[in-house]
Amino acid sequence: MDLKDIKAIIDLMKKNSITEFELEEKESKLRLKRGLSASASAIQSEDAIQMIPMPIAAPISAPTAQLAVSSSSAASNAGEIDIKSPMIGTFYRSPSPESAPYVDVGTEVNSETVACIIEAMKVMNEIKAEVKGVVTQVLVENGKPVEFGQPLFKIRPL
Amino acid sequence: MFEKVLIANRGEIAVRIIRACKELNIRTVAVYSEVDANSMHVQMADEAICIGKAPSSESYLRIDRIISAAEITDVDAIHPGYGFLSENAHFAEVCESCNIRFIGPSPRAMNALEDKAVSRALAKKAGVETPPGSEGTVENEKDALVVAKKIGYPVMIKAVAGGGGRGMRIAHNDISLVKGYHTARAEAEKAFGNSGVYIEKFIENPHHIEIQILGDNKGKIIHLGERDCSVQRRNQKLIEESPSPLLEQKFRKLRDKIGKAAIRIAEAARYTNAGTVEFIVDDHGNFYFLEVNKRIQVEHPVTEEVTGIDLVRAQLEVAMGEPLRYSQSDIVLKGHAIECRINAEDPFNDFRPSPGRIEMYYQPGGRDVRVDTHAYAGYTVPPTYDSMIGKLIVKGKDRRDAIDRMNRALNEFLITGTKTTISFQQAIMQDPNFRRGVYSTNFVEQLLGGARRELIEEKT
Repeated sequence: MDLKDIKAIIDLMKKNSITEFELEEKESKLRLKRGLSASASAIQSEDAIQMIPMPIAAPISAPTAQLAVSSSSAASNAGEIDIKSPMIGTFYRSPSPESAPYVDVGTEVNSETVACIIEAMKVMNEIKAEVKGVVTQVLVENGKPVEFGQPLFKIRPL
Repeated sequence: MFEKVLIANRGEIAVRIIRACKELNIRTVAVYSEVDANSMHVQMADEAICIGKAPSSESYLRIDRIISAAEITDVDAIHPGYGFLSENAHFAEVCESCNIRFIGPSPRAMNALEDKAVSRALAKKAGVETPPGSEGTVENEKDALVVAKKIGYPVMIKAVAGGGGRGMRIAHNDISLVKGYHTARAEAEKAFGNSGVYIEKFIENPHHIEIQILGDNKGKIIHLGERDCSVQRRNQKLIEESPSPLLEQKFRKLRDKIGKAAIRIAEAARYTNAGTVEFIVDDHGNFYFLEVNKRIQVEHPVTEEVTGIDLVRAQLEVAMGEPLRYSQSDIVLKGHAIECRINAEDPFNDFRPSPGRIEMYYQPGGRDVRVDTHAYAGYTVPPTYDSMIGKLIVKGKDRRDAIDRMNRALNEFLITGTKTTISFQQAIMQDPNFRRGVYSTNFVEQLLGGARRELIEEKT
C-alpha cells in the first residue's frame, strides 16, 4: 500500500460520499474516516481525513513511509486567506472538460490570475484570485454548486 | 405538481410559505443574506443558499442570484412573498423564460396594472369610481396647480411607483402643493427609481377597505370579502380586521358592491393568482378605487381566519395549474378576526426601530390565537430590513369577542431585549372609539396626540 493508492481511495470516498473505509491486508490494516461538517445548508467544502495505519503482524520489511495524520480541515494555518465565491453557480476548475485546471495546490497566483469558473445561467464567469500568493488548498470539487461567500481556495499570501 | 419551490423572501412570510409547501409535501429552498444566516426560514427549509451581503440590493433584490440559486437547486417554482420582487414583472418574465413557474399573477396581468396611474385608468374603464384626480401623471408644477384647482383641496400627491404606503404627501393649498410636488418627485426618484407622480382628491376621514381576490389560470376570479385596515400610522398599517365594522354597522350592502367592483377590475386586467384591490370608503358609503396589490399581503391571515381558506396553499394550487376549487357562493365570512402587527419599534420614541437580540420570547396561545412570526429567543433582529417581527391574529364569534381575546393575547405576549409595539397595540384594543368600531385613518394620530399617552405608558 503506498501513498498513491491511499490517495486514490480517498478520492473514491469523496466522490461517492463514503465516510468510512477499512482495508485489511497481510501486513497492514488501513482505516480511513471522513469528518463531515454538520451544516445543513453549506455545500460540503472540506473533509478531515484521519489515517490510522495498523500493522497486524510484524512485517519483515517495515513500511517505509510513516504516514502522517492528515491535517484537520477546520483550522486555517496562520496567515492563510480564503478566496470566497462572489456568486451562486456551478464551480469548474478548468476552462473546459479536456483542459488542465486553472490552478492547483502550489500554483502561484496574483490578482489577475483566473482561479476558476463559476457557471450561472449558462454564462461562464471567470473568477480572479484577486490576491498575490500560493494556493494551499482547493476547497470545492469540480462541478459542485457553490453559494455566495463560500470559500473556494485557501491562499498563502506572498 | 411542484417537487421543489424556492422562496425568494425572508422573515415571517418566508416561514408562512415554507409551511404551506411542507403541508403539500413540496420541498423547500430558502435564500438568505449573510446577516440572515440564523433566521428561522433558513432553519426550516430543506435547503438554503446564501445569496449575498445584508443590503437587499445585494441579496433579496438580486434577480441573477436568485435565479442562479433556483438553477443549482433545480426548483420548479419560485414564491416571491410580498415586497422585494413580488410585483416585479421583469422578474416574473425571467422566471418563465428559465422554465421556473412564478407563483403570482402573470407578467401580462402585472403589466396591465403596472403602476398606480395605469391602474386608475383601468378601473375607470371597468366602470369603477376613482377619487377625482389627474389623468395619468402630472408632468409639471403648472399642471399640478390646475388639477388641484379643479378637484379642490385638500389633495394627495402620490408616486405612481410607490407601494407599502410610501411616496404620498398631502397638500392643503397652492403653496404646500408646489413644495410637495417637487419634494415628492425627488423622493420618488430616489426610493422607487421613478419620479412619476399623480394627484388625487384627499378624502376626509377615509376608511381603508380592501378586497381579497383569487383567480385561477382559466379566468375564474372570486373575492373573499373585505379587510378594514384603517388603523395606520404614517400610512403603515398597524391593525387589520374582517369583516369591516364600518360595513357591518352602516353599509351592509356595500360588501357585495365593492366585491363585484374588485372582480371587474381584476377581470379587466386578466388577473391570476392572489391579489388585493384597495378602496377608500368615505363616511357616506361612497367608495373609490385606489390600487391593486399584485401579491399575497401581510394581512392575509385575517381573511384566512374568517373564510377558513388557506390563501398561500391556494396560490400554490393555482400556480400548479389547478382550477379554483371555490365558487363565489362558497365564500362566507364567519365570526370576526383581528390582526395586530408586532414591530421591533419603540412606541415612546416616535416608533424608532429597535433592532437587537431578543432575550426572552413567549408568544400567546390558546383557542383561536395564531402567531405568524420568525422570531425566537436568542434571535437577533437585524437593522437592515423592515421592523415587523410578527403578526398576532385572533378570531372571535363577533367583534367584541375578538377584541377581548386580542387584549388577553397581547397581555401574554412577552418579548424582552428589544422594544416592541405590543403595549401600544393593547392601548388601541382598550380605546373606546376602537372598541365601538368608530375610526378612520386618522385614528392613531389622534390617539398619540391626545391625552391617551398615559394609557400607553402604563402598559409597559
